[in-house]
Amino acid sequence: MRNRFQLAVSVLAAAVLAGTAGAARTSTPGVTSTSIHLGSSVPLTGEAASAGNVARGADAYFKYVNDRGGVFGRKIKFTYLDDGYQPDRAVTNTIRLIQQEQVFAMFNTLGTNNNLAIRKLLNQSQVPQLFVAAGATTFGRDYRQYPWTIGYIPAYSEEGKIYGRFIARSIKRPKIGVLYQDDDYGRDLLGGLRSGLGGKAGSIVAKVGYDPTTTDVQSQVAQLKASGANVFCIFAFGKFSLQAFNAVSRLGWHPQIFVNDVSAASSLMSIVPQKAANGSISIVFGKDPAAPQWSHDKGVRLFQRILERYGDSIGSRDLKDGFYVAGMGAAYTMVDTLKKAGKNLTRQRVLDAAIHLNEKGNPFLVPGIVVRTTPSFRYPVAQVKLQRWNHGAWRLFGKLLSAKPG
Amino acid sequence: MILVAFTWSELAQQVVTGLRNGGIYASLALALVLIYRSTRVINFAQGELATFTTFVAWSLMNHGLGFWAAFPLVLAIAFLGGAAIERVVIRPVENASALTIVIVTLGLALLLNGLMNVIWGGGEKQFRGPFSTRTIQLGGVAISIQDIGVVAVSVAIVVLLGLFFRFTKLGLALRAAALNPASSRLVGVRVGWMLALGWGLAAVLGAVAGMMIAPIVFLDPNMMQTVLLYAFVAAALGGLDSPVGAVVGGLALGLLITLLGRYVGFVGETLKLPAALLVILLLLLVRPAGLFGRLAVRRV
Amino acid sequence: MPRLVGDFEVRELALVGVYFIAILGLDVLTGFSGQVSLGHGAFMAIGGYTTAILTVDHGVRDLWTIPLAGVIAGIAGLLVGLPALRLSGLYLALVTFGIAVSFPQLLKKFQGFTGGTTGKILNLLKAPFGLHTTPNRWLYYLTWGIALVLLATAWLLTRGRIGRALRAIRDSEIAAASSGVSLAAYKTLAFGISAFYAGVAGSLLALATAYVNPDTFPILLSVYLVVGLVVGGLGSQIWLVAGAAFVYYLQNHADAVARGANGALPFLHLSPTRPGVPSVIFGVVLIGVMLLLPSGAGGLVRRALGLLTRRE
Repeated sequence: MRNRFQLAVSVLAAAVLAGTAGAARTSTPGVTSTSIHLGSSVPLTGEAASAGNVARGADAYFKYVNDRGGVFGRKIKFTYLDDGYQPDRAVTNTIRLIQQEQVFAMFNTLGTNNNLAIRKLLNQSQVPQLFVAAGATTFGRDYRQYPWTIGYIPAYSEEGKIYGRFIARSIKRPKIGVLYQDDDYGRDLLGGLRSGLGGKAGSIVAKVGYDPTTTDVQSQVAQLKASGANVFCIFAFGKFSLQAFNAVSRLGWHPQIFVNDVSAASSLMSIVPQKAANGSISIVFGKDPAAPQWSHDKGVRLFQRILERYGDSIGSRDLKDGFYVAGMGAAYTMVDTLKKAGKNLTRQRVLDAAIHLNEKGNPFLVPGIVVRTTPSFRYPVAQVKLQRWNHGAWRLFGKLLSAKPG
Repeated sequence: MILVAFTWSELAQQVVTGLRNGGIYASLALALVLIYRSTRVINFAQGELATFTTFVAWSLMNHGLGFWAAFPLVLAIAFLGGAAIERVVIRPVENASALTIVIVTLGLALLLNGLMNVIWGGGEKQFRGPFSTRTIQLGGVAISIQDIGVVAVSVAIVVLLGLFFRFTKLGLALRAAALNPASSRLVGVRVGWMLALGWGLAAVLGAVAGMMIAPIVFLDPNMMQTVLLYAFVAAALGGLDSPVGAVVGGLALGLLITLLGRYVGFVGETLKLPAALLVILLLLLVRPAGLFGRLAVRRV
Repeated sequence: MPRLVGDFEVRELALVGVYFIAILGLDVLTGFSGQVSLGHGAFMAIGGYTTAILTVDHGVRDLWTIPLAGVIAGIAGLLVGLPALRLSGLYLALVTFGIAVSFPQLLKKFQGFTGGTTGKILNLLKAPFGLHTTPNRWLYYLTWGIALVLLATAWLLTRGRIGRALRAIRDSEIAAASSGVSLAAYKTLAFGISAFYAGVAGSLLALATAYVNPDTFPILLSVYLVVGLVVGGLGSQIWLVAGAAFVYYLQNHADAVARGANGALPFLHLSPTRPGVPSVIFGVVLIGVMLLLPSGAGGLVRRALGLLTRRE
């Protein structure tokens, strides 16, 4: 009797073990023999909601890769939560993702303040904070203190520097007025501008910071126009950039406009008064699917196929939305990194892979950009090109420029 | 901060901008006052309702209707929607505490905001309004037809409302129902319908406000959020009760805030909203019923 | 209790405790003295920032900052309570709403002190020496320990002279004044007490999320506190736990609710990842609860108990 009972128990135990062996857990959270679980926190609602499409783009790309066998047989599961662009929600999401969902790493979390808020807790928990979708210099610079963190997009301060250098080189007797969002994002751009102008930093004749609680920025733009500026730098976010163009048009002002990359999406530029928008200059590092010069490009065609096939049925799935492409570009680099990290996937290995990148030919980035990192140089995308808006589209011009801090 | 030198023409420009912003606050404040006057409810969902109806207008225009073709449709939808909300959501709790009603309107605001995100997404949309965007240059100051339009429409609405409340039977009934429902019923006023009417009209005003504001600030689900805050202040300045007060309060507030933000370095950008609220606080301390309101006398 | 649930769930229960403390305080003000405040998030912010500034800039031990945060917030509450005397019902609600709106702006303005929009990053909470427990469990014990003490305090306060005075004021200010109750003193005191509670809650929230910035204490937080109060039931003290749980879980698990709703009503396509769906759910549930339970959970319990006792 007892023997048979013991046999039954053993059989039962073996069955249970066999059942779980199908998805054997390794000792690394978020990694099993068949899956890798990545997490992110992005704005899906609120004023920055359009930027949340980076996560949807990345998700579509991961599904595409999964259909082709994944990475070493592991399929990537990507869980991204809405934080409405608020840092405290990003913290809650992150804690939930690492403690409850047990993700392997955080990928492409969006927003400077959001990422600052979660950086310490991720580093203290030794969870990789990979390819941060924010341009504050600190994410690449402060790796000694926060070794588990690495950025992705060019730093805002570098973007500002590029505008400064361009103005100093190409515009005679510039008088610059700057509208900037009064936080790290806007101030980094402004600081970079000054630094890029070098000896000509005095050509900034007026700068006005605005608070995101403002209804409309016409008052601020009026102040800048009254300063007699002939160059207008719009270092403003989304809606406020749109209002700035509106104000320029209404006030009858005709400066040379520089608009920061985040607000330069074609979908935004095409709804402002075109007389004001024509001639505006911005930087770019991803392929804008709405730009006619990429309409036959293989990378953009790939993007459109992937989005159509794997895109979340929720969301506009707009094939001309550059945010989706930006997400896919980062996802491409992520898959690249996972491949480099090898079959024996641990958090330390994926971090090591991320700080030894040398990726050429990312189909979603402007041709010629090499995604390169070393343990002490943690700015993956550090090259950009300038583009000019005319007749309803962006056109790249000039050479590939360096956006390397340091 | 590099201070731009003071010029009279810039001051004039800032005054124009300030009045324009004030017109925006006033138009929404009118809706708040109307609801308060006819139902004694502070409607925290007024802004979201206005934005929602503006999105409806956008959808109609996106499907080919011109602005003036869509306009009456939107007003009708707004009216019906507002009245329906009153009957379905507010009516069951109208006798509960004021706090409960406030929570219900807050829940409504969340619901509408979420619904807008679900139906239209969170991105900015362009809205072509009724006014041309042409600007007139008057001695170095740029005044756009839109700016004039916003203020003019608000003033026109005040006049219309004043006439309505004072000279029409319906207006009288509306006021009676709000001030004294019990007695009003005795003289035959259908109090229930009056309340629904009040909400419907307020929704119409909100829709008008939204359709005027959207061309300027661009349409997205959060368009009215800060506007609502300023509109509360404007309405409170006017005593919550007086349409004239709301418009005067709104224009004054817009002007004050714009000039304070531009010329007083300490206030700058960040403290504009707190400055507005400080203004209302000080005013209420001195005149607890606002500039134009009437203080209710409590009989012991 | 913590033995039965996972570590992350313990954390969630701790956060419910944080909300409970704040709502308990708000109940003293609104439930007992009848003053509506839509701005208590600002007092939580004062508490939270006190803790953040003291621990990050001055290296003070985290636990000692909690009572201090409460006291500073309490003093702020007294200062607000004074001008509030001049404002009646709706205007008070509007002005306190204004405070909730303005406070983040003030935090942004004085950025040398507060860290502005970047905010302050605290160290992760760790249990003190000798206690072998996870940070989440420690947070749970800490929060609920304090909550129980504060609950007992609130209960005693409202049973005694202060409570009677406050209730008299709530029911009829004129009658109360004519029977010798000093309106000004008690109303202001109520503000101070409620702000103290909010400050303690804010301090615990700062320790729990290890981060403060102006967005950590947004306008919506003040709204949620009032929601929690009404759902729990004005004056029901212990039933406010239901209100706190409601507010916490609906906010943070709206996606689970959405999934549930999607299962029940699939034709509505309520996918939880669709942006805006959680807000819609929150709004609908909120309205529903108000329509069905206008006096909150506490009222429901009281009615049920009333029915039971009447039968006997």
